[in-house]
Amino acid sequence: MSTEATTLRVIIAAFTDFLTVAIHTILYERAIYPPTSFLSARKYNLSVRQNRHPKVCEWINDAVSAVETELLKGVVGRVAIVIYTKDNHPVERFMLDVSRFPTVALADLDTPLERTAANGDRLPILPRIDMEEQFRATLSRLASCSSTLKPLPEGCVFNIAVELKQDGQPPLNHPQPWMPVQSAKGDAVGGQLQKKAVPVRSIAAGELLLECWIEEADGAS
Amino acid sequence: MAQDYTEYLAINVLNEQQLVSYRSLSRALKVHSNLAKQMLYEFHRKQNAKKPGSVHATYLITGIRRAQSPAHTNGVHSQEDGDDTVMQSSPPLPSSFAPHHEEEAEEPVAVRSVLLVKEEHLEQAKATFDSVTGIHINSLQANGLSDVQSLTECNRKIVESYASEDPLQAWKQYGTIQNPNVKRRTQRKGPPPPARIAKDADAKMKPLAPTTKPTALEKQASKESKDSQESKPASKPSSAKATPEPSKKPAAVNRQGSDIFKSFAKGKTKPKKEDSQSSAEATAAATEPEDEAMGGFSEEEDDAEDGAADVDEVPKESEGKSKKEREADLQAMMDQEDEIMEDAAEAIPDKTAEEQDEGAIDKPDSQQAEEPAKDTVTMENGRRRGRRRVMKKKTVKDEDGYLVTKEEAAWESFSEDEPPPKKIEAAPAASTNKPAAGKKAAKAGQGNIMSFFSKK
Repeated sequence: MSTEATTLRVIIAAFTDFLTVAIHTILYERAIYPPTSFLSARKYNLSVRQNRHPKVCEWINDAVSAVETELLKGVVGRVAIVIYTKDNHPVERFMLDVSRFPTVALADLDTPLERTAANGDRLPILPRIDMEEQFRATLSRLASCSSTLKPLPEGCVFNIAVELKQDGQPPLNHPQPWMPVQSAKGDAVGGQLQKKAVPVRSIAAGELLLECWIEEADGAS
Repeated sequence: MAQDYTEYLAINVLNEQQLVSYRSLSRALKVHSNLAKQMLYEFHRKQNAKKPGSVHATYLITGIRRAQSPAHTNGVHSQEDGDDTVMQSSPPLPSSFAPHHEEEAEEPVAVRSVLLVKEEHLEQAKATFDSVTGIHINSLQANGLSDVQSLTECNRKIVESYASEDPLQAWKQYGTIQNPNVKRRTQRKGPPPPARIAKDADAKMKPLAPTTKPTALEKQASKESKDSQESKPASKPSSAKATPEPSKKPAAVNRQGSDIFKSFAKGKTKPKKEDSQSSAEATAAATEPEDEAMGGFSEEEDDAEDGAADVDEVPKESEGKSKKEREADLQAMMDQEDEIMEDAAEAIPDKTAEEQDEGAIDKPDSQQAEEPAKDTVTMENGRRRGRRRVMKKKTVKDEDGYLVTKEEAAWESFSEDEPPPKKIEAAPAASTNKPAAGKKAAKAGQGNIMSFFSKK
């Protein structure tokens, strides 16, 4: 794994793995699905929860590959996992800021990246051990988040949203995986939440720069 | 000290919102585990008195559980806490370490269980026990514990952060359960340990097969008067690779007699490999005396062999490939009759050569003190002649009737065309051999130093 040259594709692949695990963890923690439908798995040397239902897994995998497509285009600012109540009011958002990923031209997606420090030393693009450790820490924080957050009302549903960067073009091609949503009052997807932000962690592993926080709607929904 | 723990817990549990188990607390503050449990209890009590619900605990209850009626058992776990679905759902959860459902529902079998419960289920869990032999706090966290599995992270961090500590010294401090008969096996290495006399002179040390650590361990003859041969206790199961290496090297000691099984043991590290290679040529001759000794041991060591066979298989993986076949031969040998061992012994001269070398390493002082350290080498017409010191094996019968093979240095004259073979000094690594030999030649034959170098 370390022998291959690290390209942007590799970085994005590492991120999407993490995103998948994070989604499963959030689903477990916020009890979107019954806890008995989750089995224990191990990722990044940490015990995590994974949903067993095939449709759920399929949906999550599809969503994450759609995110990956957008990431490869380099237009994504943030990825959000939004929890809605039964009447479609967003009550919580788990944000992952990916705007600091390296931006490369489309032709250079598979070009190995190089990084030099100020004194000219070559630095690793994606130090695996650091990355795993930081992913582990983030997932542990996510796993304990449910005790800090307010309990969710019954029957919540979740969805995945991406916020594009300023100059990003929304993806409107034929098999349309994404539903464009107008941002209300220049605010982010999910409508205007009276938000309370709980920081989770920021990850800095080589070129993989990520921030993670939780936004809670203050008002009762 | 009392302030330390409060501060430490306040920082970790409240500020950083981490999970602190009694084990991590004891490692971090270097205190006994029981003291750590008390600290956790005190902190929990004080914080909850100040602000109720600020600190949550998980408890560990040990005791004899009341017999569960079959209606309650659900095949894998009997459901103790109705609300605690987390503990019920996934089998791998360590929620109970003892099986607590009986196949025969007729006779209630007293089942001793160890149960991990969250504090909200504490009373419920206690009610399921007939008698509680022990109860203590397992961990503290700032808010409720949603997933019991996150407790595994504590243990992983302990192993990661404290892998460098020697469990055989640390156990007294931390209070890990220790088997008094456990001894660590010595590590063979290149440089001779200076006059390491055995720390524990136990005459009888049974090798503990299930508790020996897989890597870098050698099989140990229980009847040999080996000193300070220790195998790792099972209390630190996962720090196999990191912990044995640094801590066992200093524990290598002088052995009274060489252990036969050391010739078969594969728990050797890199310096040893280099040594063995350097000594292979010189000591290839003295394999014969090994045979009777090995034969004698095979009958008496059956029980040790089986256990040690497992141990040796794992060191196999960590060693070079070239030794694997030899190791396999040895293993096959040891499981069979004496004659086969003796026959196969000749087939592995290299191995026994290494064995002799290790014996040499382990008794450097006594040998070197008695005999002059340098060999005389004279150079004449391109032929080297002189005396050199060679390790020879001598098998003697002990007072208990055991065959003991001793390594002894003996002088012999040699005459050969080549530059002198690499000496079997306890010098590490081949890099020092040639220059060392060169220097010795220079010392001995003063006028011939240039001819020595011209040979290269």
